[in-house]
Amino acid sequence: MSIDRRKMIVLGAAGAAATLSPPLLRTAAAQRGSSAAGDELPAREASWYKKLEEGRIECELCPQACQVADMERGMCGVRENRGGTYYTLVHSLACSIHTDPIEKKPLFHVLPGEKAFSFSTAGCNVECKFCQNWEISQFRPEQVQSYNLPPERLVAAARRNGARLTAATYGEPVVFWEYVRDVAIAANAVGVKPTVVSNGFIKEKPLREVVPLLSAIKVDLKSFRDEFYRKQVRGELEPVLKSLEVIKEIGVWLEIVVLLVPTLNDSAAEVRDLCSWVKSKLGPDVPVHFTRFHPTYRLTDLPPTPVASLERAWKIGRDAGLNYVYLGNVPGHPGENTICPACGEILIRRVGYRILSNRLVNGSCPDCSRSIPGVWS
Amino acid sequence: MARGRPFQCLYRPDLRGKTLKKLTRRELALMLGAGALAGSAHGKSSRSSVQPGVVGLAEAKAALGKPLGAEAARLAMSGALKTAVGEESGVEAAAALFSPRDTVGIKVNCLAGKVLSPRVELVEALVDLIAEAGVDRRRIIVFERSNRELQRAGFTIRESGPPYRCIGTNNDYDREPSTSGAIGSCFARMVSTTCSALVSFGVVKDHDLSGVSAGMKNWYGVIHNPNKYHDNGCDPYIADVARHPYIRNKLRLTVLDGVIAQCHGGPAYRQGGIFELGMVAASTDPVAADLWAWREIESERARRGMPTLEAAGRPVRFLATAAKAGLGVDDPKRLSLVIA
Repeated sequence: MSIDRRKMIVLGAAGAAATLSPPLLRTAAAQRGSSAAGDELPAREASWYKKLEEGRIECELCPQACQVADMERGMCGVRENRGGTYYTLVHSLACSIHTDPIEKKPLFHVLPGEKAFSFSTAGCNVECKFCQNWEISQFRPEQVQSYNLPPERLVAAARRNGARLTAATYGEPVVFWEYVRDVAIAANAVGVKPTVVSNGFIKEKPLREVVPLLSAIKVDLKSFRDEFYRKQVRGELEPVLKSLEVIKEIGVWLEIVVLLVPTLNDSAAEVRDLCSWVKSKLGPDVPVHFTRFHPTYRLTDLPPTPVASLERAWKIGRDAGLNYVYLGNVPGHPGENTICPACGEILIRRVGYRILSNRLVNGSCPDCSRSIPGVWS
Repeated sequence: MARGRPFQCLYRPDLRGKTLKKLTRRELALMLGAGALAGSAHGKSSRSSVQPGVVGLAEAKAALGKPLGAEAARLAMSGALKTAVGEESGVEAAAALFSPRDTVGIKVNCLAGKVLSPRVELVEALVDLIAEAGVDRRRIIVFERSNRELQRAGFTIRESGPPYRCIGTNNDYDREPSTSGAIGSCFARMVSTTCSALVSFGVVKDHDLSGVSAGMKNWYGVIHNPNKYHDNGCDPYIADVARHPYIRNKLRLTVLDGVIAQCHGGPAYRQGGIFELGMVAASTDPVAADLWAWREIESERARRGMPTLEAAGRPVRFLATAAKAGLGVDDPKRLSLVIA
């Protein structure tokens, strides 16, 4: 029997769920949300849209601002106009669930070594040509195997699996923002910390409504050039920068990831501009992770990012005055470690997603007492 | 050949050293296969049957919600087909387009439910003509995205026939995306693998973004991510889907059900926008077929005192792009309407 990669991912997630939490899998399988093509998807009225004339609507969730006619969907593929009312088709409809180390998100300044109960639905509001999770993000909910997993059950599963965090990740949480909100409310009620991994391509109002509920958020800043956003992502730069500023203003812990794609966004000038903007607008303490690209989806004709390019970005970031610059997808590289910006000693030593040592004492350097920003307890 | 790498032409001296469009192995095999088919399998090759700019028309009148009747449907379908292809009868026209060895896929657009989807009796009339031209009925497949959409439009799901197969593609897509211009999509295996010949069977409809949804936009139903390609009036995306080798090399015919058409409020059914056009159109030129549909929609809008589609904010851009890509004729002066 042959299976495709999409099925393998879903099976892998289901298998992981079975390993980690047999009760969860039994419950989920018994209440499967959608699998057979053509089944009517469960729908819940969307929270951010306005009605237009003649049964059309305008989505007010993300800057795509899709105007959608009856029976049609927005660019995300998971929101549908049914008779002039806009619905999300993915609330509580998880297609991927897994317990990951928080380092995988990556959130390096959030409870190091702890587990994050990670989940996603189908769909995305952009189309990155280099998407690592395209088998779910670029598909519609009826095209992937999904499970009915309401917020309370999701959080209960997280606790059963010993996860102190939840993480909306893999696909794009913006497209299941109502689900993110309700999971965050349920998580906070029982002391589990909700986190999000997002592209930040979202309108300000929904962002402001949900971010205060979170413990941390990681945003992919895919480039510092609008042209890259338009050609490679089918999004725009400016709204993402605005989101970063709003998150910083709200005060929720923020980390940034920049995937360096050879020849497309890895020039020294662009990296310098990006680091300079982060320092001036967000401050030097926001961690910036430069991560390695691997060819996939529609960008299969480029090589993986050379380590030299990553190391150049690492140096540029530190030279720009950023206190926490990391490298990703290069296991064993010193760029994975957290270093005290005051005394230069290694505080957290990492290899891949593993913590080898954590010398922080109450969130401070044990050598010079410098306070290291983050969510440490 | 390394997967995913541009390759260079070795057998054309004039092209040596030039990087050509990247093709997947499946695309290459398909192109070679199509060439072989054109050269041998058809009594008359599909290419020789293409009539640029020609749209065959036949009257087919029925009130909203009323059936056309099998006999009237046969008459209309046969008339439109024979005039489109320039043959003496509908069966001969079908024989000119399809080989007995073909597996023929008829993509119907059933998004708008029973009122504004291709009429079952018209589709079955086409199936009969193709079968009478020598194609085994088990290899004539009426399809849409899902069984549910087909059933809503009045079709009966027939996994294996008889008298023909009628099934949803039901998310059976290629495993890897395939690029064509600006689009990158996984295509339904129904078009990439199963069928050797394709028919687009659409409806004459207004579309709130592309202006017109008739024969060409129907192909959005064979890619996994149509929601990604609705900005800028669906341009250049509609043309990019249609010029993908899976479609372009297999498309033999476009049929448009204009018995009941829609000039406003599409693509879903909205009562105020529909009108009794009373026509069925067929063409081997997909661009010309949509050009005719556009013309009829604009005529009805003018008759009602409505603004043109362009003035209404949804200019029909994709036809010019499709014509530039060599898919057909978008020049109204070259449009040749032949009434049966």
